[in-house]
Amino acid sequence: MNETKKLVEIGNIVSNWELSADVNALVLECPDIVSVAKPGQFVMIKNEMGSTYLRRPFGVADVDKEQGLLLLIYRKAGKGTQELAQLDDGAPISVEGPLGNGFSFKNEGRTLLIGGGVGIAPIIYTARHLSKELDGPKPVILLGVRNHKELFWSDFVENFAEKLVYTTDDGSYGRKGFAIDAIPDILKEYPDIKHIKVCGSTVMMKGIAELAIKQGIECEVSLEKRMACGFGVCLGCTFEGKSGKRWKVCGDGPVFDAEEVFG
Amino acid sequence: MNLTRLATDFAGIRMATPVMGASGTFGFGVEYSDFLDLDQVGAIISKGLTPLPRAGNEGVRIAETPSGMLNCIGLENPGIDVFLRDILPKVRKEAPNTAFIANFSGSSVEDYGIMAEKLDVDGVDGIEVNISCPNVKEGGIVFGTDPKAAAAVTKEVKAHTTKPVIVKLSPNVTDITVMARAVEKAGADALALINTLTGMVIDINTWKPLLGNVTGGLSGPAVKPIAVRMVYQVAQAVNIPIMGLGGIATAEDAIEFLLAGASTVAVGAENFVHPDAVVRVAEGIDAYLEKHNLSHVSELVGKVKIG
Ligand SMILES: Cc1cc2nc3c(=O)[nH]c(=O)nc-3n(C[C@H](O)[C@H](O)[C@H](O)COP(=O)(O)OP(=O)(O)OC[C@H]3O[C@@H](n4cnc5c(N)ncnc54)[C@H](O)[C@@H]3O)c2cc1C
Ligand SMILES: Cc1cc2nc3c(=O)[nH]c(=O)nc-3n(C[C@H](O)[C@H](O)[C@H](O)COP(=O)(O)O)c2cc1C
Ligand code: FES
Repeated sequence: MNETKKLVEIGNIVSNWELSADVNALVLECPDIVSVAKPGQFVMIKNEMGSTYLRRPFGVADVDKEQGLLLLIYRKAGKGTQELAQLDDGAPISVEGPLGNGFSFKNEGRTLLIGGGVGIAPIIYTARHLSKELDGPKPVILLGVRNHKELFWSDFVENFAEKLVYTTDDGSYGRKGFAIDAIPDILKEYPDIKHIKVCGSTVMMKGIAELAIKQGIECEVSLEKRMACGFGVCLGCTFEGKSGKRWKVCGDGPVFDAEEVFG
Repeated sequence: MNLTRLATDFAGIRMATPVMGASGTFGFGVEYSDFLDLDQVGAIISKGLTPLPRAGNEGVRIAETPSGMLNCIGLENPGIDVFLRDILPKVRKEAPNTAFIANFSGSSVEDYGIMAEKLDVDGVDGIEVNISCPNVKEGGIVFGTDPKAAAAVTKEVKAHTTKPVIVKLSPNVTDITVMARAVEKAGADALALINTLTGMVIDINTWKPLLGNVTGGLSGPAVKPIAVRMVYQVAQAVNIPIMGLGGIATAEDAIEFLLAGASTVAVGAENFVHPDAVVRVAEGIDAYLEKHNLSHVSELVGKVKIG
């Protein structure tokens, strides 16, 4: 359970820049949230000057605890994110978090981190945590992107990866196909992989979860649902797990054991 | 915040302030303890309870709309028995000083009586009868749009409880004063209005409704002028106290409701956006009283000047 206190903090924009035609990076100064945020958790942000109403959920992409900086990586999907992309340095953003429970970490074996699209964002902090903060074996990182124009992710994860593998939809870089297609080779090369953590589309996570379950590898998935509140009160984000229990993606997740979701 | 100026007795429910957390937007109250001091919350109004647990509606349940949102949660809740056994004791432990109002609905008049009786326990300070959830058959909307049925439910509830009974009205009617008068006559101690307005969003890429339940309930700032108008009309029509809600985001919004004739208010969807809203609104009302040299919030109630 998330035992840390949830906070609302005004974070000024330190920088907000384009990574590709439809993806931006945003650095916010919010030391209090950053000091307690864990890999896999998320924040709900609101541009108080903007025209949208509800907060928007984004995974914690990375943190700089010393400087109190929070990195978010966002796809310009609709009105809220498009308005966000227009904001200049210094603009205030209301940040609520840290929300949800992050990934779990165990002291054995290597981890395979898999991200698809902007689902790669939380993989960055998770990779840093595994390789630097826990000082364990560096994770193997597998990223599924559309084409060679989305290789900007390398700058964020390279240093934390034992090996970085890309798949592209069109074969313009790395292996052509879906992330899941690359897994058998990776597992052959790294038989010490004991955990898989995935954040991406539902189709992607379902396939990978089934593969992991079949191979007896522990797998965690990070889910996405429309959220009004982000802390368990609106019930917009609930689903029924395989055990029959009802879960809130925001409060009980967004990270779940793959068996409970796709088993 | 000067609590003596704000302390309010609402139909026998004693509250620290006249500002409550609205049903379905405030959880069971304790979820907000990181964001505000629960002692400064007028009342916690629970998520709508039903006789049996409900999983709610399938598919997308939340859609943002201009200055508001649609929801079609479908009354997901653990059911009244689990509430009484597991949740209420926890709430009373973590928020011992805050008034607690249980919101509930059923699919028959008898259901309402059974639920009222079960809720007639220590720790529940008042009950809010939901005859206005637009999202499920069992949400009481059939009772909320027919004055005879609304009166029958109110009578049944009154016969099975010793608690103050608040009846929550739907705005999805032609004349809300007809409903208000009917439930007042049937014995309601207070009214709450408004619940959400039925709305719909269509995704023009897929040509499908965005919400899993096709339609949903509209709330947020977009509905405020409608809610203020309805509170004003109902205040002219009845003599029982009114809880006004619908689109309240600031103290200024709340004060409009008070002037229109509500003696208390509740904050709904705004809690999602600013989880300290209930207390911030109360503080703002207090500052307004101070500025206008008023000694108690009740001095604002119904004071709108017409003509
Ligand atoms: C836990 C969680 C973590 C997320 N992390 C990231 C991230 O790191 N980077 C990133 O780019 N995106 C992330 N998303 C998706 C992101 O929240 C949406 O893309 C964003 O809210 C779209 O806002 P908008 O105003 O641009 O779009 P609009 O379509 O105008 O938004 C309208 C409404 O729908 C909701 N919505 C729209 N698309 C989504 C979606 N895919 N998922 C959930 N809600 C949606 C919005 O929050 C808003 O309430 C995450 C979602 C969740 C639930
Ligand atoms: C997500 C959500 C869930 C709700 N659930 C309930 C409910 O269970 N019972 C009820 O009486 N009203 C429910 N409501 C209605 C609110 O209590 C309130 O009447 C309405 O939203 C208008 O207020 P607002 O504009 O401040 O949100 C719900 C509203 C929302 C947004
Ligand atoms: S987003 Fe509101 S309960 Fe999860």
